Amino acid sequence: MTRPEAGPAALASSGRTASGRLNPLTGLVLAGSGAVACLAWASWGTWAAVLAAALVVAAKARILRRVVAAASVVVVPFAVWALVIHGLFFPEGRTVLVVVGPARVTSEGLAYAGAIILRTASLVVVMLAFSLWVRVPTLRAALVRRGVPAQLGYVLASALGLAAAVGERLRRIREAQEARGLVVRKGPGGRILAARLQVVPLVLQLVDEAGERAAALEARGNALPGRRSSYVDEPDSQLQRVLRWTLACVCAVVVASVVVPAVAGVLAGAAR
Amino acid sequence: MSHSLTVEAPRRSPLRTTLTALGAVAVVATYAFLIVSQPADVANGPTAASALVALTGFGIAMVLLFAGILPTLPTTTLALIPVALVLNIVLGQFVGSTLVPIYLDSIGTVLVGFLAGSAAGAATGLLSTLVWSFFNPTVLPFAAGAAAIGALAGLAARFGVVRRFYLVPIAGVVTGFVAAAISAPIAVIVFGGTATGATGAVIALFRAAGQNLVQSVTTGAFTSDLPDKLVTFSVAAALAYALPRRSTQRFEFVRRHRVLAGPKQAAAGRPDGEAAPAA
Repeated sequence: MTRPEAGPAALASSGRTASGRLNPLTGLVLAGSGAVACLAWASWGTWAAVLAAALVVAAKARILRRVVAAASVVVVPFAVWALVIHGLFFPEGRTVLVVVGPARVTSEGLAYAGAIILRTASLVVVMLAFSLWVRVPTLRAALVRRGVPAQLGYVLASALGLAAAVGERLRRIREAQEARGLVVRKGPGGRILAARLQVVPLVLQLVDEAGERAAALEARGNALPGRRSSYVDEPDSQLQRVLRWTLACVCAVVVASVVVPAVAGVLAGAAR
Repeated sequence: MSHSLTVEAPRRSPLRTTLTALGAVAVVATYAFLIVSQPADVANGPTAASALVALTGFGIAMVLLFAGILPTLPTTTLALIPVALVLNIVLGQFVGSTLVPIYLDSIGTVLVGFLAGSAAGAATGLLSTLVWSFFNPTVLPFAAGAAAIGALAGLAARFGVVRRFYLVPIAGVVTGFVAAAISAPIAVIVFGGTATGATGAVIALFRAAGQNLVQSVTTGAFTSDLPDKLVTFSVAAALAYALPRRSTQRFEFVRRHRVLAGPKQAAAGRPDGEAAPAA
């Protein structure tokens, strides 16, 4: 229902950030723990604490500015629409603050919008801090070493690389079409025609390349089962391994403590 | 593409089929939970249980579907998936920034479904959401809907809908109905019924008219998803026909089920991965 406007260019440069000595899976577990905390303990204090912690970690990793910029692209439109939908129109609200035409601002609506905005902002900042910090090749190597299908790593790395380059390709196609006389006319018809003249060559080019890449991958034994060797160095330590497992177990217990009673309650209600 | 020096890729096995089926069951069970439990507490602010159950259930489903489907995909399909993800993201970003109540963020997923079948379409939907969440984590809870779109596109192609172009918009509307039905409760539970752009305006309109949150979000989802999938399916089918035959006939699914209209291929029914001669 919500659609992104953040671009992949920011992520493409994440490979250049210093990931330090932290294992990408440790970062993933830390981000996952933050997300679980936001969802399991529904309170303003938890959301604010997780948001603050994520911003502090991003500042330590020297990616604060990029995290804030990327998160703003997602959170600001979300916050505006949350305030419009729930702040102005909240029929369940009882404490009316202002009435302007059909709009009825209530304190309950504002509180609801605020809670949703803060929780979403916390989740978005935690996850963006991870995705902008992590080096995708290291993450891919770490996942494949632990038995995740190599296909997942290939698709992840290939898509992120392609997403960063496709903007430049679209620009080249547009310039070529303009050289052939493309003029974007006003109105939806003109825009659709211009979009078709750019998108169709892009799709044809990408699909054709995918066919060639498939032949190259096949020739290199991509479809074969078995373990893959990786030359990518993966920083790790005993302390990090202990931290990862501890956090993962704690998260599993927390999730189970919330999910199991909820599901049991629904099942009991259905049985009655 | 296979030759005598390589070993065949792992194919479907009872274990992988079971994992895929369990993934589908997890999606259905999670969805059923959300439908049964949602009306009680949505307007009282974000709660712990519903959102966590939704994300846990769909997360387990995603892992099971990945484990069941990914290792069985032929390399031809695997190489196409990143292209589909990029198309989803590029077109979705473009349309998402306008005030048109459609997304066009699943054209790549539908195209893969048409060319490579339901399993590949579902995997593309899941992977697309996963990769996209690196830029925008708010799309992650909608992974189940994206998988359903890809799976239904593959199913439509399997039954000859793309061969009869006039049926494509109908298949799009049916898929839009399913996608809206899946995404509406997630939007309510995880994002409190907040949507941006034109869908948000539709929700605000119905809230102003006094409808409750679930009704408004569901109406907004249907208003957006039905026309969106109609356009998406039509555009994806047009793109599939615009591709050169040597590209489309690389896919065993296209050859075996004669997905695209045109003369019958002599290579129909060949073993997977073996390319048909270029037209």
